[in-house]
Amino acid sequence: MTESGLRSDEVMPGGRTLSRRAVLGAGLGVAGQALLGADAGGRPAEGGVLAHAVGPAAPADEAGLYDAAKKEGKVVWWTAHYQLDAAEAVRDAFVARYPGIEVQFIRQTAQVIYQRLTQNLKAGVRELDVFASTDEAHYTGLKRQGVLAAYRPLGLGNLPQAFQNVDPDGAYHVGALGLVIINYHTKLTIPPQKWTDLLDPRWKDQITVGHPGFSGYVGNWVVAMWDKFGWDYFAKLAKNNPKIGRSINDTVTDIVSGERLVGAGSDGTSLDSKSRGNPINIQFPADDAILIVSPVAVLKDAPHPNAARLLESFYYTKEYSLAMSKTSNYTLRADVPAPSGVPIDRVKWYRNKVERLEKGVPEAIAKWRETFGV
Amino acid sequence: MSAAAPTLIARRGPADLSLGVWTVAAAVLLFMVVVPLAWILVASVHSDQDNRLTPANYIEAFTTSIYLQPVRNSLILAALVAVIAVVFGTVLAWAVSRTDMPGRTLIRMLTFASFVTPSFLGATAWIFLAAPHSGWLNRAWVALTGAPRGFLNIYSLAGAVCVIALYSYPYAFAFVSSALELVPSEMERSAQLLGANWLRTTWRITLPLVRPAIIAGALMSFLEAIAEFGTPAFLLIPARQQVITTQLYLFFQYPSRPNLAAAYALPLLAVTASLFLLQQRLLRRGRFTTVSGKGGVRVPFRLGPWRWPVFAICMAPPIFSLILPYTALLATSLSHAWGRGPVPGNLTFAWYHWALVENQGARRAIAHSVSYAAAAATIATVLAVFSAYAVGRRLLPGARILGYLAMAPFVVPGIVLAIGFFAAYARPPLVLYGTAWMLIVAFATRFLPIAYAGSESALRSLDLELENAARTLGSGRLRTFGRITIPLLRRSILANWLMVFIPSLRELSSAVFLFTPATAVITNVIFDLSDEGNFEPLSALGIIMMGLTFGLVAVAYRLFGGAVFGQRQRA
Repeated sequence: MTESGLRSDEVMPGGRTLSRRAVLGAGLGVAGQALLGADAGGRPAEGGVLAHAVGPAAPADEAGLYDAAKKEGKVVWWTAHYQLDAAEAVRDAFVARYPGIEVQFIRQTAQVIYQRLTQNLKAGVRELDVFASTDEAHYTGLKRQGVLAAYRPLGLGNLPQAFQNVDPDGAYHVGALGLVIINYHTKLTIPPQKWTDLLDPRWKDQITVGHPGFSGYVGNWVVAMWDKFGWDYFAKLAKNNPKIGRSINDTVTDIVSGERLVGAGSDGTSLDSKSRGNPINIQFPADDAILIVSPVAVLKDAPHPNAARLLESFYYTKEYSLAMSKTSNYTLRADVPAPSGVPIDRVKWYRNKVERLEKGVPEAIAKWRETFGV
Repeated sequence: MSAAAPTLIARRGPADLSLGVWTVAAAVLLFMVVVPLAWILVASVHSDQDNRLTPANYIEAFTTSIYLQPVRNSLILAALVAVIAVVFGTVLAWAVSRTDMPGRTLIRMLTFASFVTPSFLGATAWIFLAAPHSGWLNRAWVALTGAPRGFLNIYSLAGAVCVIALYSYPYAFAFVSSALELVPSEMERSAQLLGANWLRTTWRITLPLVRPAIIAGALMSFLEAIAEFGTPAFLLIPARQQVITTQLYLFFQYPSRPNLAAAYALPLLAVTASLFLLQQRLLRRGRFTTVSGKGGVRVPFRLGPWRWPVFAICMAPPIFSLILPYTALLATSLSHAWGRGPVPGNLTFAWYHWALVENQGARRAIAHSVSYAAAAATIATVLAVFSAYAVGRRLLPGARILGYLAMAPFVVPGIVLAIGFFAAYARPPLVLYGTAWMLIVAFATRFLPIAYAGSESALRSLDLELENAARTLGSGRLRTFGRITIPLLRRSILANWLMVFIPSLRELSSAVFLFTPATAVITNVIFDLSDEGNFEPLSALGIIMMGLTFGLVAVAYRLFGGAVFGQRQRA
């Protein structure tokens, strides 16, 4: 295996020349999008049947959408994007902006919510409105099955240009940005500086990682390590006897409790824990932080289609980015500074392409099983 | 099954309404037990990819080394649990039933408390106590001795064995103590007269007399351990060891292989079923030997100076299964961050506020747990009493089969039952998945044998005279059942209801497959929280769940006295 992903110093993901619409959108923010809404229903679907517009036409402005959503009364949201308290902060901010709509949400690892969605789809159970996994490959699969609604959320133009059109058909959009970095207990004066440092025998019995079979972040990280260093990386890592949790957020628990000293964790959860006074910090690895672009999508059969659109549009409001910043996650808008102090465009990152993830994650899970026994 | 007694009314007269009612009961049993199990069989011979008929699932499941290792691990785990649980259970049962040890009632009550505590909660508590670096006991050890690290590692096969044994020894206790209570003292007295001391008497005389009960208790613990899902998920995944149940769970993760899971689950079912049959045979033999004694007086052993040492030994299992774990759970539930330990400034009631007020998901889960468990208990109790009656009074052709059906779920591990329910009722024509009924019916099925065994023995103890009198006076079958039999069984019915409600409230292994987020119960939320290491809210929810359980136990105890819990032998 060799690196096939994108790096921060190369072309930005989804990058294309600035379109007039994007300039307008970025300039005018939410209000501008509302004006543009009518013609902003996503680019015409190239695959034709790949993505479908949700039932009746969506109200094109925020007030109309809110009214329609209020009639539906609630929205069901499954997210793997960030830790529980970040999801709670998003919920609170949404409810504050749109009173009268109940947000029913669960926060679980990506593979688990994906599995539950797949089971629901198979059984014909319509329950979910907005699906927010951390594994981009889930979306390409779901899109092929025709279960995602093509929708251009209001305010999408507030997103950094490079992330605005991750899916050309508009079946899903960027809902969160995050990094897999090295997290460590602050009693370490010199933390590992790069991924390959974790192979040093001095970290034996001191490493904690999640499981690619459960966590989308971990699956993404495993594929990246595999492509960068070869599977041998994990054969060597196994010799250091890492503790294997399920979620990538398990690493934070292990470090904060002193159970382990270093981990491959997510920046947001680690910094959030640090902000609450826990003895944890993060290190951007010299051999690239792994950038995770986590999508969000509205389901075609959403029981509450307008509330779903409203929630997806909410991702691009200032309130959402403030909720991100409050819980130490990367913000989606440039007008709310990144809590790590390092804006995403200054991080040295590596990102797996979605085509690689589609094939790579299931393979990585199987290989992981052979190497680590679970 | 009672013998000749009911023949008086066993003639099937002109079909009255009652036949219809009992046929419905039979149909419901079919729907709850036979259909899901049949679906496992069907699924197991179909390909996950293209639904073709194929034996490939079996070949893959039992020739692939990464799938065989969990089978080995499960067998080792269950065998070790059985040995440890039977040692604990037998020692405690002997001390409580045969000696003048102080605190016998206390030990009995603590054993019951261990029985109602789910082992996954114990496993969580033991993470706080004995995680290799951060566990409180290990830290205390390091602080006391200056050793570089503690010696306990809960993330290990040994750790999982100990935790499961701590919560399954009550089975051995129940079997052995009820057998010991039937053994007359004469032989023991003779041995003592011939000069054997109490230790030798116990070893050579008492224990051999109840050997069938001991073996039955061991098999029971083995069954419990091999079907256990929560504890291995919490303790063995970090230890990089997989058992059958966690492997089954993984088959349902991405990329999902439900049909392979079915093929992998069936042999587990074969193992549990044959062990159960073995256990039944042993118990029957056991009953025969002990009951045939001359019914002499039972005199407790006088332990003399050994009274308190024996008591101290008997307190060991409850200390490790209840006192330490509940202290740890309580302390964690009241901490901002458990890793900081019980220090000032770490105290908060926020997690209870979170669970009971702030977090609507947790609040809903609590409401679901209580209402689903109540519904399941009601269904199981009603069905049990109808089918036990139909069997006891031979109302239907082949009534005995009804009895077997009602007892069958007993050998089906929760996770396997869930796979069957999923295969049967997550697809048209009957889609229960996504509704509360999926969980309610699964819980009712899973714990039906408890209610059935209770109803059967209660019915057997009922004299037929009263029913016959009513029938002679012209009352129909159904009316007699409603006006005579049911009122007579009231106590037993209420007890059965409770004995189904309690395990339904804490059921994890089937719930984890069958819920959708809209129907999540407490155990689902607990499992989800464990996924992310959110141990503080998890502990608060666990304490709330056990508070509900113990509250209910206390109410039942006041209402019915200790007798209610005498019949929890099934289980």
